[in-house]
Amino acid sequence: MSDLKLVDVSKSFGAVEILKKINLDVKAGEFIVFVGPSGCGKSTLLRLIAGLEEITAGELVIGGKRMNDIDPSHRGLAMVFQSYALNPHMTVAENMGFALKFAGLPSAEIRARVLSAAHILDLEPLLQRRPKALSGGQRQRVAIGRAIVRQPKVFLFDEPLSNLDAGLRVHMRIEIAKLHRQLGVTTVYVTHDQVEAMTLADRIVVLRAGEVEQIGSPLDLYDNPANLFVAGFIGSPKMNLLPAIVTRTADGRPALRIPDIGDALVALPDRAPRLEDGRAVYIGIRPEQFCVDGSAEFDLAIDIVEHLGGTTFVYARKGSSAAIVVETRDGRAHKSGDAIAVRFDPASLYLFDADGGRIRSAAFGQPNA
Amino acid sequence: MPLPRLLNRIGVYGFLGAMALLSVFPFIWMIVGTTNSTGDIILGHLGLGHAFLDNTQKFFTQANAPLIFWNSAKISLLGTALTLAVSSVAGYGFEIFRSPGRDWLYAGLLLTIMIPFAVLMIPLFMIMGRLGLINTHIAIILPTVASGFVIFYFRQATKAFPSELRDAARVDGLKEWQIFLYIYIPTMRSTYAAAFVIVFMATWNNYLWPLIVLQTNEMKTITLVISSLASAYYPDYGVVMVGALVATLPTLIVFFAMQRQFVQGMLGAIK
Repeated sequence: MSDLKLVDVSKSFGAVEILKKINLDVKAGEFIVFVGPSGCGKSTLLRLIAGLEEITAGELVIGGKRMNDIDPSHRGLAMVFQSYALNPHMTVAENMGFALKFAGLPSAEIRARVLSAAHILDLEPLLQRRPKALSGGQRQRVAIGRAIVRQPKVFLFDEPLSNLDAGLRVHMRIEIAKLHRQLGVTTVYVTHDQVEAMTLADRIVVLRAGEVEQIGSPLDLYDNPANLFVAGFIGSPKMNLLPAIVTRTADGRPALRIPDIGDALVALPDRAPRLEDGRAVYIGIRPEQFCVDGSAEFDLAIDIVEHLGGTTFVYARKGSSAAIVVETRDGRAHKSGDAIAVRFDPASLYLFDADGGRIRSAAFGQPNA
Repeated sequence: MPLPRLLNRIGVYGFLGAMALLSVFPFIWMIVGTTNSTGDIILGHLGLGHAFLDNTQKFFTQANAPLIFWNSAKISLLGTALTLAVSSVAGYGFEIFRSPGRDWLYAGLLLTIMIPFAVLMIPLFMIMGRLGLINTHIAIILPTVASGFVIFYFRQATKAFPSELRDAARVDGLKEWQIFLYIYIPTMRSTYAAAFVIVFMATWNNYLWPLIVLQTNEMKTITLVISSLASAYYPDYGVVMVGALVATLPTLIVFFAMQRQFVQGMLGAIK
């Protein structure tokens, strides 16, 4: 395993700049996940690391060696693709040993490595089958096996579970996590599925429009989003984000007026920083932060109720406002059309300015408040 | 089944049956003709006759069958192999690699498909004359090797070639030519099979260009020999029919042997 470093890495296609000065330091053995919306450049960044695209500016260093101009096959990495990229005319064993054959390894060594990888991935009974005779999950395991046999310093995964059904995706996610623990190889993983990102990553890199928005551990990103984008992107269901205006209560305390909820007033905690009256901000409340004993209360009408068994997601709104998602553990009695009073503690609010930057204060964003 | 639907079905099947008969009639007539004498054929006799052995014996006496078969087979197989090799590389290259002027060059190539052969044959003849290739089989093969249509066909088919297979091969350490040889060709074998059938048939049935370029009997192909049998002062149509049947057999064998891959390849090219 090797460490991996990106220093001011940029990528342009013609006049269009896809990635802008990306800096990242991946420690040896670390599991890094790139997430972001479609078109944010996460797959392009992975392809730059793999050597499948040329770096326009900046530097890629793997294991202390500059890799910008090194051929993909000599970078010491292996890549698993979304569509598995298995050669249809080869058996599982041939697919897994293909790279080793071209690297000139003796056939006994190839056989040993293929059998070892097949054992790890439980592929031994399938070695003589062709890809078309395999299920999606089996194909994905072959693709991972093909990467393992190369004994790479870095694994690259490009949305490897996107083509699998929900059940298989959970299973393969666990398999990948186990594999990483077993092999300890530095891994860079691209996904748009934040459950994958949250469960697999040591650290998550959130990308938007070719720029890094935030890097951090999954819970750090969840608890301390750097801005409105990360706050809205990390978490499922996503954080409720509502425009608000800084104002004062009748007794002169600083408060927020929320136009989307019938101009509801939320008094700010005593320790809140001084914000000028009339300033436009956004407040963020995670669905699970609604509680029974909060000092702030909204009266809403239930739109849709999603019963998941243990938890219930209630989508409620005031008039024509956007739906507010409330997570509750005792919501089985709720039904569409009912009125609901939702309460929360203002100390649990996240506050963002109109440009999306986080207004940091010890008085806000206390997830366990 | 309700009466209007039954009538509709009878009408549709009747029309389709008539069209199918119209298509297959020349073939049936050719087979029936091999068993009839010239007189019966001219009189339009459509039943099986008793002259098959006589016609066959005459054909093999009048035509040097092994030689003309060898000539046609050599030209068709070599021409098809070279056309597939050159045109598939070109089609793959046009689709995979970006370069300045690629689209203009490709548009120019497509234009060549639209030029009638009648316009090309005199310049081609002059070129072959300059190269000293008149009355050689290379003169038949060369003009078809870089076929605009086959390059177009391979480029369209390459659009369906998964780019991740190429990416994975690059990460595995394959050079571009190795990707083409070890990944592209085996993956696209249905496309190659369909192209083989199309090009082989076109080359085997080629008549006009061999007629112009080939001048001595020992160089002639089967289509030229059948034509010369039919253009005798008193043509023996029974013998001509045997020749036509013998000439048709290789294309039939190639087609039926590769029918499944041909259909797959054609579907792949359209997708």
